[in-house]
Amino acid sequence: MRTERTQVVVIGGGATGTGIIRDLALRGIAGIMVEQGDLAHGTSSRFHGLLHSGARYAVKDMEAARECIKENRILRRIAPTCIEPIGGLFVQLPGDDPGYTGRWAEACAQAGINAEETEPDQVIKSNPVLSRNIIRAFRVPDCAVDGFRVLWGNAASARRHGAKIITYTGVTAIHQNSGSITRVDLTNRLTGQVTRVQCQAVINAAGAWAGAVASLAGIPVEVIKDKGTLVAFNHRIVNTVINRLRPPGDGDILVPHGAVAIFGTTSATVDDPGCSEPLQREVLELIRLGKELVPEMESRLLRAFSGVRPLYKRGGEARGRWVSRNFALLDHRELDGLAGFYSIVGGKFTTFRLMAEKTVDLVARQLGVNSLCRTAEDPLTIAVPEDLVSRGKRVFGVPGAKMAAQRLGESFSRVMEEVGRFPEKGRLICECELVSQAEIEQVASSEDVYNLGDIRRKTRMGMGTCQGTFCGLRTLGILGDHPRFTGDHHLQLKNFMQKRWKGIRPVLWGQQIREAQLSVAIYGALLGMERMK
Amino acid sequence: MIRKKTDLLVIGAGLSGIMAAAAAARAGKKVMLVAGGEGVLGLTSGCIDLWGYRIDRKDEFCPGPREEIARLVKVSPGHPYAVAQDALEESIDFFLAICGEKGCSYRDNGGGNWILPTSLGTVRPTYLAPDGMAVNLTGFGRIVVVGFTELKDFFPGMLVANLTRNTDLTPGCELVSCMVSAGGKEMGPNTLAHRLEQPGVIQRVAAGIKKFVYPDTLILLPPVMGEDLHRDIMNTLSGELGCLAREVTGMPPALPGQRLHKALLGYIKDRGVEIVAGCTVKSAMVSNQHCRWVTASGAGSTMQILAGAFVLATGSFLGGGLQALPGKLRESIFDLPVETYGPEWSSADFLSTGGQPFSRFGIKVNNLLQPVDKKGYPLLENLLVAGSILAGCNYPVEKCGGGVALSTGYKAGRLAGGMTCE
Repeated sequence: MRTERTQVVVIGGGATGTGIIRDLALRGIAGIMVEQGDLAHGTSSRFHGLLHSGARYAVKDMEAARECIKENRILRRIAPTCIEPIGGLFVQLPGDDPGYTGRWAEACAQAGINAEETEPDQVIKSNPVLSRNIIRAFRVPDCAVDGFRVLWGNAASARRHGAKIITYTGVTAIHQNSGSITRVDLTNRLTGQVTRVQCQAVINAAGAWAGAVASLAGIPVEVIKDKGTLVAFNHRIVNTVINRLRPPGDGDILVPHGAVAIFGTTSATVDDPGCSEPLQREVLELIRLGKELVPEMESRLLRAFSGVRPLYKRGGEARGRWVSRNFALLDHRELDGLAGFYSIVGGKFTTFRLMAEKTVDLVARQLGVNSLCRTAEDPLTIAVPEDLVSRGKRVFGVPGAKMAAQRLGESFSRVMEEVGRFPEKGRLICECELVSQAEIEQVASSEDVYNLGDIRRKTRMGMGTCQGTFCGLRTLGILGDHPRFTGDHHLQLKNFMQKRWKGIRPVLWGQQIREAQLSVAIYGALLGMERMK
Repeated sequence: MIRKKTDLLVIGAGLSGIMAAAAAARAGKKVMLVAGGEGVLGLTSGCIDLWGYRIDRKDEFCPGPREEIARLVKVSPGHPYAVAQDALEESIDFFLAICGEKGCSYRDNGGGNWILPTSLGTVRPTYLAPDGMAVNLTGFGRIVVVGFTELKDFFPGMLVANLTRNTDLTPGCELVSCMVSAGGKEMGPNTLAHRLEQPGVIQRVAAGIKKFVYPDTLILLPPVMGEDLHRDIMNTLSGELGCLAREVTGMPPALPGQRLHKALLGYIKDRGVEIVAGCTVKSAMVSNQHCRWVTASGAGSTMQILAGAFVLATGSFLGGGLQALPGKLRESIFDLPVETYGPEWSSADFLSTGGQPFSRFGIKVNNLLQPVDKKGYPLLENLLVAGSILAGCNYPVEKCGGGVALSTGYKAGRLAGGMTCE
């Protein structure tokens, strides 16, 4: 058993938790962030990847709308490599209340969101998959955001400033003495190693797991676990974010993302915060709703995925979507008499930085730290120098170099060095997402990568058309000398393919059932993996 | 519109389709074969699986596939073998004769299965293997797994790491991996196969392997060892090294299946079968429970093909014989009913010995291979169905795809050969 000491322990490695650990680090407060799985394995990567302009909330929740547009502008400035500033459209279709459109436009103006009306014909011309029946359309400053990259940006920045980040580690106990936090016990899920961390404060940023974490301290925090299912298209079917112009509901947002596009979402209350299995009936419901927007909806689906939104319940019978999307910051000294324990619950990805700022403001004040928040000004990610990207283009081609530079940030220079020494490592392992051997080796050598899924999240390997059938095996093959990947090929590959399968099952038709049959034939008929030892 | 007329029209250029065409052509019929794509043979192992595991103990190799099939048809009357078992022996003999004639010979293992290694380091049971793959892994003191630096999908280290865990080797057998270069940049399997056929290349490759070879060594290679000159290359390699060299099953595309495809196509061309490639059959004209003609299109032209009999060998989803939409399944040309055996299309486990339900989806037939309705009455009398579009077979886990294709394809060709054009 090891013992460590720090000022603050942050529980949860999603957008909020990584945002908080970065904020703490930038203010010079010592912190350890602990995450039960890989960073970004949960809700923070299981969404549209939409950086809201706030227009979606303008009518229902002016405060949320104002927060969104403010944070939208900040993130575009501090994290340009994580964001595609592609803009968004709100489109009114037949059946949508025309009165709402008027109220919406007014509310946007009030919130300071620039919503500019545009010709429906023009919209259809630039996005030919959309319904011909668009009645009115407005442009708003929505963006596509890469949740993974924002989180790694937070984590890397926090580490640079002295924070410690531990993954695949769960909190097993939260200790208190005379009404104050004294210690948390951590257990590494891969090794079983237990670490005791003495600390002054614990921030519960566990999202959908916040209730479970709070209960370790004997405190009730009720979080509504709202499962949302989304589908990914095989292509970038639109070039801008598309929203339905009606009160927020199911199946009304479509976001293009790199080579794919994501449509969602459904909404259903669940008990299990880890409930990430999309169901076919949820997908079919999404298709039914989505057909109004994209008539040929079902033809090109790649996979489905689900995330659990943590919605904070503030009394009453509030359920699902009707709970405020605003976040709640709970000081459990005031609420429950436990000093040094805080929960941050609810919120949305777009406002993660603000949530972190408010949380750390409170915690810092109680720790007696006066330094100011810097997360709105300090760049989150460091852009790769242009000349290095140019050299990369000669190795990886133009799109390959751009994509790798965006994914890798600072590490891109190390990948370039490696390819300089061993040119054969420039070959592509994942042809869909243009991921090279050098990139995979680089990522695999980082401290918090243990399995093929971790590599997938960090490189996008396996996220394209083959869904890992070819590149998963290949990745394992090239990592033959790598200690974490030599041990159990069977388990590594099986777990990886099984997770990919979970998302393919609900969309098993059209081209996808053909891909699935090829995959089953390769791993069954050709490789006999179902009986592998 | 081009109009054509033939005794038998085979739709599909996979193993079952070609076998049907070959059997009918040998019987003296005028045969046409039309196919939208290349067929999936080039994606397969190139081996012919009959049956891999015990039907009652699914993790145990079956000692005799023939005996296991005889048991299977009693307990699973819905399996395609139940309607084609009578043609299995003849179809195997015919297949071996064709392959022998075309210089692509295959071997059985004395009635039992071969247990052959894969690139993943697993082993798989199969009945007939090409000469260049057939091997008993026991009996070697040393196995050297050779990879090519140019090739993406073959990792000797992976094979070595897993093989001992997955099969019994001679006690003390030493497993070694090595990388060689065929001289060049990154290549796909076909380019590498071609490269290895260039003068002097295989000798250079052999020189790179030489130092790893002791007496009693088996060399295992990726399935890329030449195309037309495969036999020469393997002989040269064995000669230079003084030991046995064999290809293993690997990720597609792979050469063994392609060589087989080429050999089989060569045979039916020799026998006068007219092959219409790149042409997809879209619809059929049916009257009085007979198919009269089909309409096919491709490369900008449309064709009407009249025939006395038709063989449907269009494959499953991958081949395009079956199509799926949410909750809906369709046979692509005749809109035949698709058997599903239950509401679930897929199982939660990606891989299990039970396999995926959708693998078994397909067309139900009677003893004459005619498609039947729910009550078992034939829907079309001059349409015979063969290969992986047939219902009831889960080839990825049963390891029976080759045998089902051979027996049903051959039987369909024989039966159709007996029908005449009106």
